[in-house]
Amino acid sequence: MNLAKKQSNDEIVMDMTPMIDIVFQLIIFFMLLMDMSQKDLETLVLPKALSAVEDKPNPLDPRPVINILADGQILVKREVYYDPKRDDGYKKLKEYLLMRSRAMPKAPVEPGSSIIAPDKPILVRADQSTPFKHIQKVMEICGIQDIKIWKIELAAGQEKPAEGAAAGGN
Amino acid sequence: MAIGVGSSEESLEMKGDMTPMIDVVFQLLIFFMLTIKFKLLEGKLSAYLPKDVGVNQTQAEPKEKVEIKLKVEREGSKLMPDDSGKPWEGEGAFKFGPDRVIRYSVGPKSSLEMREIVARVKELYKIDPKGSVTIDPLPGTCYSDVVKILDEVILIGYTDVSFIGDKSALYEKK
Repeated sequence: MNLAKKQSNDEIVMDMTPMIDIVFQLIIFFMLLMDMSQKDLETLVLPKALSAVEDKPNPLDPRPVINILADGQILVKREVYYDPKRDDGYKKLKEYLLMRSRAMPKAPVEPGSSIIAPDKPILVRADQSTPFKHIQKVMEICGIQDIKIWKIELAAGQEKPAEGAAAGGN
Repeated sequence: MAIGVGSSEESLEMKGDMTPMIDVVFQLLIFFMLTIKFKLLEGKLSAYLPKDVGVNQTQAEPKEKVEIKLKVEREGSKLMPDDSGKPWEGEGAFKFGPDRVIRYSVGPKSSLEMREIVARVKELYKIDPKGSVTIDPLPGTCYSDVVKILDEVILIGYTDVSFIGDKSALYEKK
């Protein structure tokens, strides 16, 4: 009887320290991996391109990133700037690009040219099935006299060289 | 955690209850695991807008340009964007099936095979490596059609690539 009583009073203490250590390590891993700059980028299926160069945006000098969904909806930083269902003549997008264009450094379009225009590009990201007319519309707005953004970058998925060598045959 | 007070038998034990902390930590862990979005392997292709429209009000220099026209001959089937090959469900993004047919033209040469046009553009590049290319996607073309040909043009070696504006309005009038 005594023996039984003694056993029931014994406390089993689990050492939680290693588990907490591991959990904290995991949290730090996920926090570091979660790139907050990704809010510029909508989830789109980009077409693949062999010549696509790796995009290394400068976090200290963010450029305008225009996301165009398959239905023509235009988003900038998760905010809808144009919706084909509520056509506002691209007013909001024009205002945004005008504001960004004014903030960009200016340089001659060509060496020796008298035409001064923003010297930085914008990044256009569109879904692979987006009708190109929507991208052309953004380009058209970029070409407006007050905006004058003439350098654009088109986003594409990077194709692996091995796949490309087989498909491209260059 | 145990703190011994003096050397007497009566020792004051302070036990921190770890349960709430572990609960919170697990909640955080689950949150990060669910919201994590791994960095996309993404690249970019540089291009320019026509300098003789909008930006440049002066007359453009007469310069030899290679103009590639893209025209949709057959729209093709719409499939789910994942590579499952299932037909599109009518909502959200989609991709075109392999039955999509695009006609490519460079000057008088026209073909449904992109490689034939690429071969012609290569010849033109050998003649004038400093020349420029203009891509004219006619209404109906989509982003992937344009990126495909733009990719080939850049691979050939052209650095000056521009686009022609939207002609949908013209086609609608017709």
